[in-house]
Amino acid sequence: MAFARREHGPPRPALLFLLSILPLLVLFTFSSAAAPPTAASPAALHNNNWAVLVCTSRFWFNYRHMANTLSLYRTVKRLGIPDERIILMLADDMACNPRNNYPAQVFNNENHQLNLYGDNVEVDYRGYEVTVENFLRILTGRHESSVPRSKRLLSDEGSHILLYMTGHGGDEFLKFQDNEELQSHDLADAVKQMKEKHRFKELLIMVDTCQAATLFSQLQSPGVLAIGSSKKGENSYSHHLDSDIGVSVVDRFTFHTLAFFEKLNMYSNASLNSLFNSYDPSMLLSTAYYRMDLYERALNEVPVTNFFGSVMKTIHTDSAYTGFLAAREVETPLSMRNNILGSAVLQDEASTRRLMKEAQLRSDGWIQILLEGKNSDTVVMYGLGTMGVLLAVSTWLSM
Amino acid sequence: MAIRHYWPMAAAAVGFRLVLVLFGGDLHLSSRPEVSTPLTSLRRLAEGYWLKQASMSPYSGSMYHGSPLLLSVLGPLTSKRSGGHHAHIYCSLVFVAVDFIAAMLIRSTGRTLQVARGKSLKSLDLAKSVNDPVNASAGDTASLIYLWNPWTIITCVGSCTSPIENLMVVVMIYGACSRLAPLAAFGYVMATHLSLYPAILILPVTLLLGYGPDTPPAKVFLQKGLSASKVDISDIGKSTSQRGFGQISWKPVLHFMLWVFIWSCYVLVLNSIILNKAGGLQEMFEKTYGFILTVKDLSPNIGVLWYFFAEVFDFFRSFFLIVFNMNIIFMVLPLAIRLKHRPCFLAFVYTAIVAMLKSYPSAGDSALYLGLLGLFANELAEMQFTFFLFFGYIGVSLLSPVMHNLWIWRGTGNANFYFATGLAYTCLQTVLVVETVSSMIKHDRKLRLLIKT
Repeated sequence: MAFARREHGPPRPALLFLLSILPLLVLFTFSSAAAPPTAASPAALHNNNWAVLVCTSRFWFNYRHMANTLSLYRTVKRLGIPDERIILMLADDMACNPRNNYPAQVFNNENHQLNLYGDNVEVDYRGYEVTVENFLRILTGRHESSVPRSKRLLSDEGSHILLYMTGHGGDEFLKFQDNEELQSHDLADAVKQMKEKHRFKELLIMVDTCQAATLFSQLQSPGVLAIGSSKKGENSYSHHLDSDIGVSVVDRFTFHTLAFFEKLNMYSNASLNSLFNSYDPSMLLSTAYYRMDLYERALNEVPVTNFFGSVMKTIHTDSAYTGFLAAREVETPLSMRNNILGSAVLQDEASTRRLMKEAQLRSDGWIQILLEGKNSDTVVMYGLGTMGVLLAVSTWLSM
Repeated sequence: MAIRHYWPMAAAAVGFRLVLVLFGGDLHLSSRPEVSTPLTSLRRLAEGYWLKQASMSPYSGSMYHGSPLLLSVLGPLTSKRSGGHHAHIYCSLVFVAVDFIAAMLIRSTGRTLQVARGKSLKSLDLAKSVNDPVNASAGDTASLIYLWNPWTIITCVGSCTSPIENLMVVVMIYGACSRLAPLAAFGYVMATHLSLYPAILILPVTLLLGYGPDTPPAKVFLQKGLSASKVDISDIGKSTSQRGFGQISWKPVLHFMLWVFIWSCYVLVLNSIILNKAGGLQEMFEKTYGFILTVKDLSPNIGVLWYFFAEVFDFFRSFFLIVFNMNIIFMVLPLAIRLKHRPCFLAFVYTAIVAMLKSYPSAGDSALYLGLLGLFANELAEMQFTFFLFFGYIGVSLLSPVMHNLWIWRGTGNANFYFATGLAYTCLQTVLVVETVSSMIKHDRKLRLLIKT
């Protein structure tokens, strides 16, 4: 008897294959219509500080430039920036110079109270490594692959960078090693590249040379604040001569900067405005000129430790590492900062954590009630036992 | 016809496992990728248990991806050591017992299926005309296959939690075949909780509870009723109402749904108590179901997903995850429509498909469906390609560890060698599924032919 019905054997795999093609087609249309992932990210938070301290002069009579840089190195370390985030470039070695009466010691004051060259000074670029090329490579991040990480500026879009340069300078240039110069448009170009590559959030350039303000005259990148020790046509002067060492030991601008910072500690919130206003032209014998047109924030709201120190917000957790959900409680950070952005972020985090905590409490509340005073392990054991008993009883009843 | 020497053979299988567990300390089966996967490895469970005892979340560090209930049950056993034996000896003894229980449940499921088959054949007056070449007891055959299958033995001895997952699936099928709604619901909830994929078995379980065990298709009964000229309507009604005959009985199904709800609430409550100090239920779902579905761990196994997802571009990753999971989901409905009169066989086909396409397959999944295959030995007696399949399975199970060794330990092979055996294994499973389904349908057609003549 002939059957009109088809064989179900052979076409079955074909049918299954067709059925599996169908979702593929559907998903192809969806995936082609799907928008590409957005590349824009919201403005990054400030979360680390870097310092690049450059001394560009050689020879013994430029002792004060070395002392300037080492004083600032000591200050930023004292206020919290660790060595991993400081790049110190010293063009010559004064501490072990044969002309140094006090070997392995560098002073910035004739009272010799402070030895700047202790045993925890980490110099990243020394001697002939301090060149314009290396300086620009540090700023732009374009190194050869063999350059070690300690010599790289590994900043990201959340970094505040302090760039301090001292040495001999002039109209729109800074002299390096007595045989080459960094020009203002080179510096502006490097900063522009840094901004394009999101290598900083904010940059503070501090220059202590003659005619310092001309060095940052070509800058155009937003987020940059710059202060120089003198304007165009003015010289910057050294502070005093140390008759023991035989040369001047510190420059006026840096001396007054240090005098300002010696009064501070890590928890101070003195603003940049007060720092900039502390420079008295009659004491400096030059005009400390700063440009803030590229800087969005008001100077009286920015604490100096945003650049010269490194204060981390710590969030205290009292439970061990939970692996997934963060701590249930958020306590106020160890140091109350005036940072508006930081507090806004903190509020957001606190509110989300509060919401999570509330949600968990709502679900955990009744668990807490169940577990009052009992060990959860025993409760679970009882629960499993009850499950087995319930299973047996229900099966027996439905048989 | 029961198999002679059934109980001696079953006891010998259990004894063989005990020998391997107690004296086979050097086998190191738990390090083989075919046996233990990131989901089932007992070593990871021990790590998760230690983390939980240290008041941390057991899922931290992405070692453990299983259920918190297993942590409470098996965890304390993993930390007990006894000198001279292999590390997880107490757990292995538990797994031997679990395997034995599963085999017994398979046997009684086979009994139920056999009784139902006898009844339906008698009502069709085919009991004598169906000349089965093998009229063996389905339950005995299946349970012996399950006990003596080398893959089951390796899974049982190999320190992985697959035996418990297999037991839950078997409990579910047994409960559904015997119309015990609480038991079936318990098996279903636990199986889905332990590994996500048995969730699709809800269809065969509802069909089993609603219509009853496997029967020939409704057409056959209709034809039987129509071809007899002097048939009493009350006779038809009496004979057909006994097996549902297209009339689904809703009471067991609703009972089942209620018990599923009860058991799942219970399980969720227990889990949230266990994970009280840790991340809670959300973390549990993310680290167990999320891990299964997003295939984070790409270490090699006998499946095909690891190789594929190691080379797919990130942009297309979620697309291919959807495709692979759709492959399973898309098979569910058509098979259910075609095989709704044979829900137990449908469950077997689903377990085979899941074993092929799940994200971290292992030998334990094959053990399950090869055991269930034995339940249908009578219907599938005329299956084609059995020689190819049998020796294919043996070949793959021998070659796969060899290729793994060549790749990983000797370095003379590469991933393609190992993946080729995985592909061959998947091909074998595909052939098995296709051939079993087509031979089952041929069997039904043969019954219809016999009715017509």
